[in-house]
Amino acid sequence: MSMPSGAALRRVASFAAALVLGWFCLLIASCVSRVEPDVVVWHSYRGAEASAIQHVVDSFHQLHPDILVEVVPIPYQAYSSKLASAIPRGNGPDVFLFAQERIGAWSASGLIQPVGQDVNDNLLAEIAPPMLEACTWEGELWGLPVAFKNVALFYNRTALSELGGSPPTNTGEMIGLARRFNDPAAGRFGLVYQISDFYFHAPWIFGFGGALVGDDGLPRLSGEELSASLDFVNSLQNDWSLLPRDSGYNVVKDRFATGNALFVIQGPWFLGELTGVDFGVVPLPVVSETGLPARPLLTVESAFLSGHTLPGRRADALAVMEYLAGYDASVLRAVEGRQNPANTRALQDPRVALDPELSPFAQAGLQGVAMPNHPAMQVIWEPANRILEQTLRGDRPRQEILDDAARDLAIALTPPPPPTSPMPWVLLMGALLLSFAVWSVIRARRVGLVARMVEQKWAYLYIAPAAIASGLLIFVPFFTGAAISFFAHENGEFTFVGLSNFVRILTSSDFGFWEPRSFWFTLAVTVLWTLLNVTLHVCIGLALALLLRDPWVRLRGAYRVLLIVPWAVPNYITALIWKSLFNFNFGAINHLLGVFGVPAVDWFSQFSTAFTANLVTNTWLGFPFMMVVSLGALQAIPRDLEDAAEVDGASKWQRFRHITFPLLKPALIPAIVLGSVWTFNMFNIIYLVSEGGPDSSTDILITEAYRWAFQRQEQYGYAAAYGVLIFGVLLLYTRLTTPKKSAEDA
Amino acid sequence: MAGLQLRHIRKSFGETHVVRDVDVEVAEGEFLVLVGASGCGKSTLLRMIAGLEVPTEGRILIGGRDVTDVRPRDRDIAMVFQSYALYPHMTVRENMAFGLRVRGAADADVARAVDDAADALELTPLLDRYPRQLSGGQRQRVAMGRAIVRRPRVFLFDEPLSNLDAALRAQMRVELKKLHQKLGVTMIYVTHDQVEAMTLADRILLLQGGRVQQCGPPRELYDWPANRYTASFLGSPGMNFLPARLDGDELQAIGVDLRVDAALLTPEAQNGPVVLGVRPHDFRRKGQAGDGFVAARVDVLEPMGWETHVHLSVANASWVARFDATDAWGLEPGQNVRLFVAPSAIRLFDPATGQALCGPPGDDGAQQAS
Repeated sequence: MSMPSGAALRRVASFAAALVLGWFCLLIASCVSRVEPDVVVWHSYRGAEASAIQHVVDSFHQLHPDILVEVVPIPYQAYSSKLASAIPRGNGPDVFLFAQERIGAWSASGLIQPVGQDVNDNLLAEIAPPMLEACTWEGELWGLPVAFKNVALFYNRTALSELGGSPPTNTGEMIGLARRFNDPAAGRFGLVYQISDFYFHAPWIFGFGGALVGDDGLPRLSGEELSASLDFVNSLQNDWSLLPRDSGYNVVKDRFATGNALFVIQGPWFLGELTGVDFGVVPLPVVSETGLPARPLLTVESAFLSGHTLPGRRADALAVMEYLAGYDASVLRAVEGRQNPANTRALQDPRVALDPELSPFAQAGLQGVAMPNHPAMQVIWEPANRILEQTLRGDRPRQEILDDAARDLAIALTPPPPPTSPMPWVLLMGALLLSFAVWSVIRARRVGLVARMVEQKWAYLYIAPAAIASGLLIFVPFFTGAAISFFAHENGEFTFVGLSNFVRILTSSDFGFWEPRSFWFTLAVTVLWTLLNVTLHVCIGLALALLLRDPWVRLRGAYRVLLIVPWAVPNYITALIWKSLFNFNFGAINHLLGVFGVPAVDWFSQFSTAFTANLVTNTWLGFPFMMVVSLGALQAIPRDLEDAAEVDGASKWQRFRHITFPLLKPALIPAIVLGSVWTFNMFNIIYLVSEGGPDSSTDILITEAYRWAFQRQEQYGYAAAYGVLIFGVLLLYTRLTTPKKSAEDA
Repeated sequence: MAGLQLRHIRKSFGETHVVRDVDVEVAEGEFLVLVGASGCGKSTLLRMIAGLEVPTEGRILIGGRDVTDVRPRDRDIAMVFQSYALYPHMTVRENMAFGLRVRGAADADVARAVDDAADALELTPLLDRYPRQLSGGQRQRVAMGRAIVRRPRVFLFDEPLSNLDAALRAQMRVELKKLHQKLGVTMIYVTHDQVEAMTLADRILLLQGGRVQQCGPPRELYDWPANRYTASFLGSPGMNFLPARLDGDELQAIGVDLRVDAALLTPEAQNGPVVLGVRPHDFRRKGQAGDGFVAARVDVLEPMGWETHVHLSVANASWVARFDATDAWGLEPGQNVRLFVAPSAIRLFDPATGQALCGPPGDDGAQQAS
């Protein structure tokens, strides 16, 4: 086919341009002509819960035809950060549904406003007091409870009747029945639940008489009751082996769904996963030792009024909130959305009270303890989970474990460093910018830059899109991040602290120098991680490339494609698959070891094996890249050179060492530098496979930075400082390796 | 003892036959040139001698030893490649030393051998340079130096002068000849250039389509080609051909009145259709007793300075005659001329098989042919 003529091309181009322009106009028109709703409601529900909300809103509209309500579902992972960023800028909802645990923080930052004064008292009387209590902070009611969620005890009805038992009312009975059912060798377990997740452990703490908050209202992880609860779960796992090691959600689901678990502790979201199992639900049993009920943590989902709702819209928004919490909507949400409503009148309605799935959860929930809403409560999770993991591993004395947790809690609760004056920095930056500007102008003048630019304006126009994109996507975030590292963040406020963050990190003031979570330990682990990985990648990749280029290897086209697959599959999927391969009870690797008579390895219980698991996964991911680079570089080596070396008398190994490898180096070195940088920052594998464990020992710098930002009370400044340090290390590394390259060049 | 023996060598890649039945014995110290057009199998043959390819059938013997199954590095050979194949990341000295080093020679021996070879090829000032800092001719000499250093039994050359310009090529040809005279080692040389073949060879092996067309001293192939292909390959400009009828010792064709020397005819020559061949060098403006002639029309003149190529039309064929510049004086395009040819200069070929129907006098006119 011959090339289309210039005229034809121009016609096609103008047609395409007209299409694009027309599409833009339509888009803008549709934005402009959109009808503005009176109330915007956000939620993060899916499935039945989401459609229930929509029906509630529809029936509201029938009652109030003049109020237009828009419902916007938001994905859960992004939900709270979207709220925090959109509402202050006026882009957020008027009303949103969320759990009540962040009320303390949100009230301080003005994200929500109190509603106690304006809500109908009759409605308030219908709502269960513990729920209202949960939404109260500093004497004011900040949200309107709408529903609650909590865990309960699921049991396999068929298996239970085979044992001749009935649903247990205390832990003694429960354990007795579980032990009779238990047969770990056959894969049957008496009680399966996420034992090292603090959310599931809290009921036992309450059951032994403990609490999560001290008298000062701050989180607390100490006391005899906590110890007693730890002894309890220790015996469950280590004395009676009632549950498999590494019991994550998928293991729990799998064991129960296949009839291999007698008891399971889960929440109402589990109901949808069980088809084909005859099961029942009862509240958690009473702890035999104390006679106290094991009270589950209560997640109270509430409707909140945004702190930035315009006064003119407030009345309508409140009307929506009241309707959501009212009797009719609550029953609808219960029946359709399968949520237990906070409205007691609705709870007593036969449609809800007699529902065999909802009522046990309701019974359990009304005894539950609402998640404390003090802003500091968020920091309790990491230390608490760590206590559980270490207790169950059994490799440290109890007192040490608890002392460490107390220390971690104290560190997490440390107030940010005192603000320092930014003036010296501002002056310095100003001076630098000014001198840079002056220098640029002088340089540009001398070189005649402006004239040259005008002369070559098309060249500059061509690179403009890429330059602007780079600027926006790379440079702006980079400088913003670097700037943040000079601030400390608390509850939405940034205060300037100068170099305090860096000092704190580099002097390792919180942790010993060679303790996990100290910068230096993590740096050492990261360097070791990078070194081992890159070495393995290069060796394996190069070896395979050498194998695959020999013409006598048949089907080498097929091999090449197969070996690219590890690289092509998104690496978080790979990470999750390998994680399950390393599972202690059900993983294929331990199974394979068993075939050779090697005892099963608890991969994630010590640093060396957890590190190995990460290493294996990342090596599997990384060698194809090196293989492809090597294959390409090998093909660039003229065949003649190897023939000449062969005739000269070099053996295969000598040929590789003296001829092939030196000629590969120019191609390999950039690949190695790139690979090192990528591996140094390989977040996915560490985060998903070993999850940084045990005890943050396999965390690398970037996962640490993530945790400081998102798991330890949003210490963005600290995390940003980490980021700057990572950048510094990598910059130094690339500077050191580049000059070497230019000597080998040509 | 023979330096190299090739016994019934065949090579095929699947259905493609690249080399068909080459059988030749090379004397110790002989310079054998494998020559032919592209794709005739000469490089493949050379690579089989080197051991870089394995023959499908046949045996190779070097110095009386069967090396068909022996690895290249144990065959006591050295090879100079068309692209020189110098190791780009090593200096000239290291390039030349490589072969000895990988065999574990002592440092002193290596240094001495390298210095000797460098001296012989005038490479001493270049020893510490890298290949990329050398000219084509210098690289060529380094490649040869690398081969010499190992003192092999057989030298192999794979079109080593192809990448050089004409002047340098001419110079290097002389160098190669001198080298051969000095070292006296068996050399197998592959080229597509007939001038190199003629000037360098002790014997020429002409290949076409994997088959040996003729093998013998250059003079023999030039004067007494065994077949039409050989006749047309050697000599520049190439031999002129014309279909004709042989009747006794007379050749009949339009515009042609030529006679052959009956003493040169082979037993196979019979009256009937033949292809006659005359070399451009064998035409004379003035006839002598016994000469035949061709009536030709001058088409184009190519004056070179020292000689002139005259492009003619003879009957319907395009012929070329070559004259010294003075002899060509007076010829004009469009002119009709008579050019004379001595009977001894005529060659005859079978029109069907291309076999030569002429041979040197004596014996029974038999000639070397495959």
